Amino acid sequence: MGIARYIIRRLLFSIVLILGVSIIIFSLINAIGNPIQILLAERPGISPEALDAMNRYYGLDQPILVRYFSWLGHMAIGDFGTSIMYNQPVSEMLRLWGWETLKIQVPAILIALVIATLIGVTAALRQYSRTDFSVMSAALLGQSLPGFFVGILLILIFSYWLGWTPSYGAYSTRTLLFNSVIADGLWHMILPVAMLAFFNTATLTLLMRSNLVDILRNDFIMAARASGLPERRVVYRHALRNAFIPVLTYLGILFGLMLGTAPVTETVFTWPGIGFLYIAAIQQLDYPVIMAVSMTITVMLIVTTLLTDIAYVFIDPRMRLE
Amino acid sequence: MLGLSLIVFVVVVAVAAPLLAPYDPNDQSAMLNFGARAAPSLLHPFGTDRMGFDVLSRVIYGAPTALAVGLGAMLVASVIGVVIGGLSGYIGGLSDELMMRFTEFFLVIPVFIVILAVVRLFGIIVVGTWAERIPHINLMTIIVLLGLFGWPPIARITRAEFLRLKQMEFVEAARCIGATRRDIVVRHILPNAMPSLVVIIAIGIGGAILAEAMVSFLGFGDPKAVSWGQLLYFNYESLKVAPWASIAPSMAIFITVLGFNLLADGLSDAFNPRLKQ
Repeated sequence: MGIARYIIRRLLFSIVLILGVSIIIFSLINAIGNPIQILLAERPGISPEALDAMNRYYGLDQPILVRYFSWLGHMAIGDFGTSIMYNQPVSEMLRLWGWETLKIQVPAILIALVIATLIGVTAALRQYSRTDFSVMSAALLGQSLPGFFVGILLILIFSYWLGWTPSYGAYSTRTLLFNSVIADGLWHMILPVAMLAFFNTATLTLLMRSNLVDILRNDFIMAARASGLPERRVVYRHALRNAFIPVLTYLGILFGLMLGTAPVTETVFTWPGIGFLYIAAIQQLDYPVIMAVSMTITVMLIVTTLLTDIAYVFIDPRMRLE
Repeated sequence: MLGLSLIVFVVVVAVAAPLLAPYDPNDQSAMLNFGARAAPSLLHPFGTDRMGFDVLSRVIYGAPTALAVGLGAMLVASVIGVVIGGLSGYIGGLSDELMMRFTEFFLVIPVFIVILAVVRLFGIIVVGTWAERIPHINLMTIIVLLGLFGWPPIARITRAEFLRLKQMEFVEAARCIGATRRDIVVRHILPNAMPSLVVIIAIGIGGAILAEAMVSFLGFGDPKAVSWGQLLYFNYESLKVAPWASIAPSMAIFITVLGFNLLADGLSDAFNPRLKQ
């Protein structure tokens, strides 16, 4: 059957992609030579025996191909080795820091979707009106506003001037808000989520509005109206359903964009997420972490693209004919 | 036309930087009487930063850097993108399939994450080699990398345009009068593909400027270059005491990126008047 073949082909291509990225990252890291040696360049006092022991501990005495395949094999079963910086299993670190990243990104995209739908519908129904024009201009401006700038403004206004929200971190270090871990966590999430939601809302609103405007011109909408359905039902049941299809594909792209720029978001808010970990790892040349984080983000990106593409086939019947 | 005026403004500032800037970008004399992180005043309209530099002068001198990054990166990206997309669209067949898969590969990888790692690792590799003596080698690396990873959208558009244009009658006419393949591609197809290419390149310039700002903001920029991202990196930690030193460069980035996005929007409307209705 068509769909099954399509999915299998996409899956195979995804595996090739993941292998390709893994080769790029692995060779890059190895291009600089022995990471341990570089790390120790600033600490000259170390004895050759200790260096040998460290090389053996991290498996750096093996030839590069052996190292690549052993890394690949371990990665496939979820073992990313040990972090040089923290001396902890990297998979455990990924779980902890990755959770913090998802904690701000997933709510942000959901909030943005709801707001963008509401604003987009309002604007599309009043096409070329003053409301529509201001929504479009605001969204276009919002799209060009760099994320870190929004973050800086949010921190200045809500943390420093009004003093309502914390400006950094995911939890309070001393006393928790209302003595509750959940309340304190949510309180810290407000600004990062607001910044990410702001960016996504701008993009999604533009997309939603232009899709809806196109769809409202279709004959089937006129037919629905002519059959005497209430306007609300026409818009929300018939038009919106179709307008969602391109938005859904775009959600995958947005999620990828957010993950890819997580280092920036998390630096602005000193958020203990995967991006923040990545920056620290690059600075310290903690190569197991660099490889683990970049591979995780790549795999998440590829899986999201794959899922949206597959969902697309199921939602849009036209795709099945191809 | 707001987009065009914003860009003209940035370009004028960049070209006339030495005339417009009240101080030299490396002048730290404000330390003597104003001190670091001084609030905006008549002598220092945007205040001074954490290191005693005049923020306005640094923002002005950041404009040429930003434009160099945007134009340089897009130059690299356009050359690769047009060659790959053009060949792919014109020749078609298996080579098209292969090249499009290759393009897709570059579209899917987390470019920003890879660039961060490469900039840092490359900085280590060049130490002690001849490359270290090239001025602004770090900035050049960033520009080339942004170009090397920024070509896929250009390749896609070029391919689509070439596929469409090679079937047109005027191309057939050129073939009939015996024009060489090179002539057809360079003198007939490429000029007609230009409108779409210019739009995507304008968006790309804004994107490259933003990307460089983010790389520098994270501390992987060129320490010797005066760039907006670099300014943010140095001053972000004193956001609470000296917000002007972070807001001024952010505004500059916003204005420039907005300018290029609006320009792209305006150009695509101008090239496709039918879409406007």
